[in-house]
Amino acid sequence: MKLLTVAEMALRELSRRRGVLVLLLALPLVCYLVRHDQVGQSIRFLLLGLAWAVSTTALFASGTSRHIEPRLRLSGYRSHHLYLGRLVAMWLLGLAVSTPFFALIAVDHAGEVRLGALAAAMVLAVTVAAPFGLLIGAVVPRELEGALILLVTISLQMMIDPADSLTRLTPFWSSREIGTYAIDYTGPEYLVRGLTHGIVVTLLATALVAVLSTIRLRTRPHLRYAPR
Amino acid sequence: MDGPDGVDQDRRGQWLRGVLDVCVLALLARHESYGYELTQALDRAGLGQIQGGTLYPVLLRLQRTGLVAAHWRDGEGGPARKYYRLTPSGEEAVRRLSRQWRAFAGRVDDLLLEEVTSP
Amino acid sequence: MTDERWLHALGQELARHRLTPDLTHHVVAEAAAHLRDSGQPALRAFGTPQGYAAAVVESLASQHRPPRRPPGRVRLRASQITKRYGRRTVLGPTDLTVRAGEVAAIVGANGCGKSTFLRICAGLLSPDSGEVVVDGVLGYCPQNGGTYDFLLPEEHFVLVGAGRGLDRARSRRLGRSGAATLQWEPARDTQARHLSGGTRQKLNLVMAALGDPDVLLLDEPYQGFDRGAYLDFWQHVWRWRDEGRAIVVVTHLLNQLDQVDQVLDLTPGTREAAA
Repeated sequence: MKLLTVAEMALRELSRRRGVLVLLLALPLVCYLVRHDQVGQSIRFLLLGLAWAVSTTALFASGTSRHIEPRLRLSGYRSHHLYLGRLVAMWLLGLAVSTPFFALIAVDHAGEVRLGALAAAMVLAVTVAAPFGLLIGAVVPRELEGALILLVTISLQMMIDPADSLTRLTPFWSSREIGTYAIDYTGPEYLVRGLTHGIVVTLLATALVAVLSTIRLRTRPHLRYAPR
Repeated sequence: MDGPDGVDQDRRGQWLRGVLDVCVLALLARHESYGYELTQALDRAGLGQIQGGTLYPVLLRLQRTGLVAAHWRDGEGGPARKYYRLTPSGEEAVRRLSRQWRAFAGRVDDLLLEEVTSP
Repeated sequence: MTDERWLHALGQELARHRLTPDLTHHVVAEAAAHLRDSGQPALRAFGTPQGYAAAVVESLASQHRPPRRPPGRVRLRASQITKRYGRRTVLGPTDLTVRAGEVAAIVGANGCGKSTFLRICAGLLSPDSGEVVVDGVLGYCPQNGGTYDFLLPEEHFVLVGAGRGLDRARSRRLGRSGAATLQWEPARDTQARHLSGGTRQKLNLVMAALGDPDVLLLDEPYQGFDRGAYLDFWQHVWRWRDEGRAIVVVTHLLNQLDQVDQVLDLTPGTREAAA
């Protein structure tokens, strides 16, 4: 209940930032249109744009909450209500943003790609991006620095040679792998690899967010509550 | 600005402050009355226009100390007004206070007359 | 100002001075009758509502404040709190004990550690030494920045209420009634970022008091309040005190200090709690 209230308020807050919503949609769209002549590239860029938009939003959401979470913690929330609530909100938002793009590709490239796998790639991009953005927000207290870190991450992801083994260490590699499976009709090992990578990165990022939030919002040991 | 008797209003206000409650008690000793009627009576008596902001706190204090009692009554054809009248201890107080004031004012008179007539 | 508005303002002022509704009604009705009889404008006959209310209250002095209940059990005990930032000592060893039904004021020059001490009491900041024992539920009102810009006041009430285990309807109702006692009626469609500084602080204050915490820690919560709201705030504090809460207020305005139960002066060199 508490978790859902946090999620709901985070979504209400974001839904009133019209500019953010427009940019949230514009970013993947631009990525998609820039390479529109090449099906594979345009979809890969779209997936990256989606991940970028969602992680940046999550970064800023954790920034605006930073000053309020201590008082919410005092109002009876546990740390996990706060970070999980925000995570759920970001996932829902990401899925909502993905839907029109999925429809766009389904119309644009009907029959050229595996649509089921494409949907999985999009869901995975969102799934990974939300906790990753929250994680950057938890590690770097200032939003500008956080945004720059995301920019570096995404640039690296875009420019790195796909054959380089280092590419597996980048956070959004999973959606690229599944994207390849969807576009180039490769074998199922791409799908499995991508799913595994995505789930591992999500769990890892979420666990780190949990640890950092719990430390930041811990009840300080000097404060004791008298037994009632 | 000077009043009709040539006393500037600040000074009149200062003098009145010490004796306004006694004057109000004296007026109420004649008959019960309400705030606006009291301001008119004080004006007619030559003490100048007393504003409501000055009068009502005095009435409240007199009421609190039990010297006057108040009740609401419909005016003749008009809206309800709060009427004040003296209580027995108010009647006693007005006799005592007017005696004390006359003695005090008499001494001031004596002093001023002496000052003016001495060479 | 029309006479209507003047009379309304007088009623509010008298209520702020804690006159009983009955007495307030009498004073206002009497002033209204006077204005009708004399035909004078209210400002001329009575001066400002604030000034006249003060005169009325003074003439009723010693009558309008209800007797205090004796303070109850200890709700907050901070012992030997110290805090340094690097080489700078922000807080020397500081003690504070507040009982149920008591108000403690923390005063001192800027930068003497008032907010730091309060944040340590709230458990939001670790001291270098010392401990805090709290008996009951804590409520905390930060100096600023405790709200979401894009959320409505009611959504803030729901958010804080959910943390306290209250359902939505109840949170909203409690929030609105808390706001009303600060002479504030939250508009249904005004986001927090569009509220004036003073109104946002009212929101902050209502959030802190939602769910009836036993210990209220208030960090200069009245910034941006006009005079009326400031008086309302202190009425709030007296009411909480009469309800048996323990209240700690950080303040730099000294004109209420004669009415609080203890003053903790954190200005270096004067550090002791005077009862």
